[in-house]
Amino acid sequence: MKQEISALMDGELFEDDAEAVLDKLKRNPDTHEEWRTYHLIGDILRQPDHVHVNLSIAIRERLQAEPTVLAPSSRAINNGRWFALSAAASIMALSLVAWLSVQVGSESAPQLAMQQPSAVHSASLPSNGFEDYVIAHQEFSPRLDVYGMTSYVHTVARHQKVEQP
Amino acid sequence: MKVRFALIVALFFTVFPAFANTDRQVDLDWPQIIAFATHHTDYSGTFVYQHDGLMETARITHISDQNGEHEKFESLDGPRREFIRNNNEVWWYLGDHKAVQIERQYSGKSFPALLPEQLTALNENYLIHTAEQARIAGFDTQAIVFQPKDTLRYTHKMWAHRDSGLLLKAAVMDERKQMVEQYTFIQLKIGGDFERTSIMPIQPTASLEQQSQFSKLSETSAQASTINWKVVAVPPGFKKIMEMRRPLHGKKTDVIHFVFSDGLAGISVFIENLGNNFDKKLGLSSRGAIHVYSKVKDDYLVTVVGEVPPRTVMQVADSVRYRRP
Repeated sequence: MKQEISALMDGELFEDDAEAVLDKLKRNPDTHEEWRTYHLIGDILRQPDHVHVNLSIAIRERLQAEPTVLAPSSRAINNGRWFALSAAASIMALSLVAWLSVQVGSESAPQLAMQQPSAVHSASLPSNGFEDYVIAHQEFSPRLDVYGMTSYVHTVARHQKVEQP
Repeated sequence: MKVRFALIVALFFTVFPAFANTDRQVDLDWPQIIAFATHHTDYSGTFVYQHDGLMETARITHISDQNGEHEKFESLDGPRREFIRNNNEVWWYLGDHKAVQIERQYSGKSFPALLPEQLTALNENYLIHTAEQARIAGFDTQAIVFQPKDTLRYTHKMWAHRDSGLLLKAAVMDERKQMVEQYTFIQLKIGGDFERTSIMPIQPTASLEQQSQFSKLSETSAQASTINWKVVAVPPGFKKIMEMRRPLHGKKTDVIHFVFSDGLAGISVFIENLGNNFDKKLGLSSRGAIHVYSKVKDDYLVTVVGEVPPRTVMQVADSVRYRRP
């Protein structure tokens, strides 16, 4: 079957034979995977640069679509988690390279690669100037007249939640 | 002196009925008592602050003497952070006595209690009534509820010490009666001697430079530069109490700053050049009852901060308009 698909793609089959192979393809979903694989191989052979660029864009897009993970609260948990994440990221990067070099045609490679690194990145984002605005505001807020300095708790508080609109 | 006192008493009785006539009988003297106690009582205590499902503790010491007000506020959890106030100068310490920032009160307001306009605003925007009596941190308190007349602001409930008027507990609730934030003193000492040296600022090395940066601007030049900007949809009941162009920590250029007040909650609008703010995260950030909302308007970054529901800060930010000169 593999040889038939390959021949079909290269245009080496006669019309009748081609029809027969296409028929088989339609009836047998297992062969769809092979069909895609051969197309990918063909694409890479013809235009390797193009294919690679597409891959990385796809990976980047999936990374950006990942939900933002906020900074973990305690340092102890932090360390363990960072270690785990960076280890996971390294392993995935390695497996991506290995996967690509051995089995160019696999479509699952991009999905494997997309999982954790964005979480590591966004955990270290700065705090967005939140404090500067709040401090400037609270000096003038009527709340200060009534509550006194306890209203400063907003800028002394440790944690911050960020929501997307 | 006697004459002045008599005058104040007389004024009080002529002004007060004006409040009493509207709606129902409200306890406008409670906010006045609380505000006075906040600024004129010597006290030191530890309180618990709850917000967004988190709990934190902080310590506050307040001294009022012939030189004015001195306050120290420090976090007891997590990284060390503290504020020290000497009248209208505030030092902000991060980490181990590194003074990172000084904020100065530009208005220079240090009125001992609430201004008449503020009381009027409170009365117009909130139904103020007394609720239960409770015992908090070993003190007898009276609860006072500030119920807003619309959903653009939060409900505030305060528990004031019945003898001194000091606020021992306060909660902010949204329209569904869900708690937004709350703080409660768990230990408190009212009156007596406190170690004054502990509250005085350790002279920060960076202070001179930063103080000059935060020097007050002349009113006229400050006003002229804000004239082209207008906040169209200020929520009902909020009045502009200040507008100016001012420096802001972390910014290279001055920002325009408007402040609106409804007597209890404040809304600040900051407008600045987009120039250095490409990396600025837009959208809503929240901490307890404080919400910060940033959006880009043409070539400017508009940031709204307030102790009001997120909907209100977003509405205000969306209504900022620039009028070409």
